[in-house]
Amino acid sequence: MRQSAESIRGRFLKLGIDVPIEDIESRLEELVTNFKVPSNEAQRSVTNYFLKKYSIPKNEFYVRQAEPQLTKIADISENGQWANLKAKVIQLWENIHESISQVGLLGDETGIVKFTGWKNAELPKLEQGESYLFRSLVVGEYNGRFQVQLNRNSSVEKLAEVIDVIGGDFTPIARESDLRNISNLVGGQWATVKGKVIQLWENSHESIEQAGLLGDPTGVIKFTNWASSEIPYMEEGKSYVLKNVFVNEWGGKSQIQLSRSSSVEELDEDITVGTSNLTYFGAMVDIQTGSGLIKRCPECKRALVKGACAEHGKVKGEYDLRIKAVLDSGTSTQDILINRELTEELVGISLDSAIAMAADALDPGVVLDKLKHELLGRYYTVSGHKFDRYILANSITPSTSLNRELIEEMFAELEVD
Amino acid sequence: MAGFYREVARRVFSQELKDSNLASRDESDQYAPQYVLTPTGAKVNRIFLVGTLIEKEDIGTDSEYWRGRISDPTGSFLVYAGQYQPEASQFLADCELPAFVAVVGKTSTYTTDDGNVLTSIRPESIQQVNELTRDLWVLDTAKQTLERIRAVEVEEDPNSKLAKEHYFTDTDFYRAMVKKALESLKESKY
Repeated sequence: MRQSAESIRGRFLKLGIDVPIEDIESRLEELVTNFKVPSNEAQRSVTNYFLKKYSIPKNEFYVRQAEPQLTKIADISENGQWANLKAKVIQLWENIHESISQVGLLGDETGIVKFTGWKNAELPKLEQGESYLFRSLVVGEYNGRFQVQLNRNSSVEKLAEVIDVIGGDFTPIARESDLRNISNLVGGQWATVKGKVIQLWENSHESIEQAGLLGDPTGVIKFTNWASSEIPYMEEGKSYVLKNVFVNEWGGKSQIQLSRSSSVEELDEDITVGTSNLTYFGAMVDIQTGSGLIKRCPECKRALVKGACAEHGKVKGEYDLRIKAVLDSGTSTQDILINRELTEELVGISLDSAIAMAADALDPGVVLDKLKHELLGRYYTVSGHKFDRYILANSITPSTSLNRELIEEMFAELEVD
Repeated sequence: MAGFYREVARRVFSQELKDSNLASRDESDQYAPQYVLTPTGAKVNRIFLVGTLIEKEDIGTDSEYWRGRISDPTGSFLVYAGQYQPEASQFLADCELPAFVAVVGKTSTYTTDDGNVLTSIRPESIQQVNELTRDLWVLDTAKQTLERIRAVEVEEDPNSKLAKEHYFTDTDFYRAMVKKALESLKESKY
């Protein structure tokens, strides 16, 4: 008990405060003996009590006290752990969230780890290629991977020395990532992909240059080309090789990001997209919720749910028109997605008139009702690319005539009997 | 969503559905879907049909409960819609007869005291459609029924085998039914 009290007293002495040892000891005594508090908990509680009493900010106290040894990246092993690192900023990524100041990769001779610098940490900007001493980083775990975060209690000091990074001079430009098939891409890796731009999405956010779908013979994947990547605009229908793109996962699906470290070259060949132009014939048996007049997040184009975006929270949405429908052939079913242009063509209403209808009725549901009324129960042939469980319709055509040949064939068979 | 799959809407003529009396359900799971196995081996939970709505009646006592009779070239289907099918009830209440309608719905069976099995349809959606859609459905259903008849004749899969064992399916009878349905297309404008 005496020893614990001495150590607490010592720590306060360093801050120039002489706390009477008897006070410390009696408080510890009371907690441990009378209230059965474990000794380490009691020490913490007593320390906090005196911090409060002398109006010392907790952060200051603990940061000064805790000068744990330097950790190597490979030794990061515990969620919630605090760490001090000497590391080199090997890469800065595009930062997509306003509360984040910087995000990227740190490396030392033992490994590489993702870091996130929060804006409210108010730390100076890190430069790619420079080495720093990072104090009081917090280790977090996401999707089974460790990452470190710079928060308000962290500090950063630029080093003159250059920290060696595992695997030599790891810079993504110097090292080209492996060529991979789209169907093999998984989150958290760098890759080079050859594919055809099969769809470009409308995009209004200034930090995004382009977003859309890229396909190769094995599949289709969403891509985002950040404006700061300075990669020239890609055209729909053309094939490209996309070097050093980062693959991440969102909502269980992989997508690729083009950033400053990526590069794109147009290809002469025309890459065939797997499942390209799948055609399906059936009756429309369902139009699902989320069809009709919807609002999308202006930043990421996701459909809003109750006025909020899963990623960006409450936003002022932009109107769009789309249909999520189920076609049924009698032996199988197929989910299809019909975009605004095709919806307008198919149903004969424009987005503006849909908005007017909804405003008139004070209910966007009237648009959905109209779609159901016009489309359900009818036969259609749809063609488009398969993506996930959907066919993204390039065209949708209502059946307008009976297949006379089929009728004759069947009659022929039935007459024989 | 793992393991979830949408029940396919089967194409069956009313005559064949009326002849069906083999209901099945996985007894170990109270949420398992109920199926009706038809004489040509269609395992029906969801059904898609297009026909002519020829009768409708509110048979409810306290609240509205609509019964509609929808004819096809071989007979007629009965659909029932109450408070839990508000859109379908509304449609039946408002609709003028006769009208071509397309129905997506779930089949359910009811065994009467004297052992007869009645199959009715609870609509998920009813829409008024045109004659073209009706003709397309007759052709579609004729084609799929004929395919099932062929499968029963050679006992191609477990369903056709089971159907044959249970119903001693007279495939000539159902071939005649398909032919009758196709004949109704002879005059078709499309």
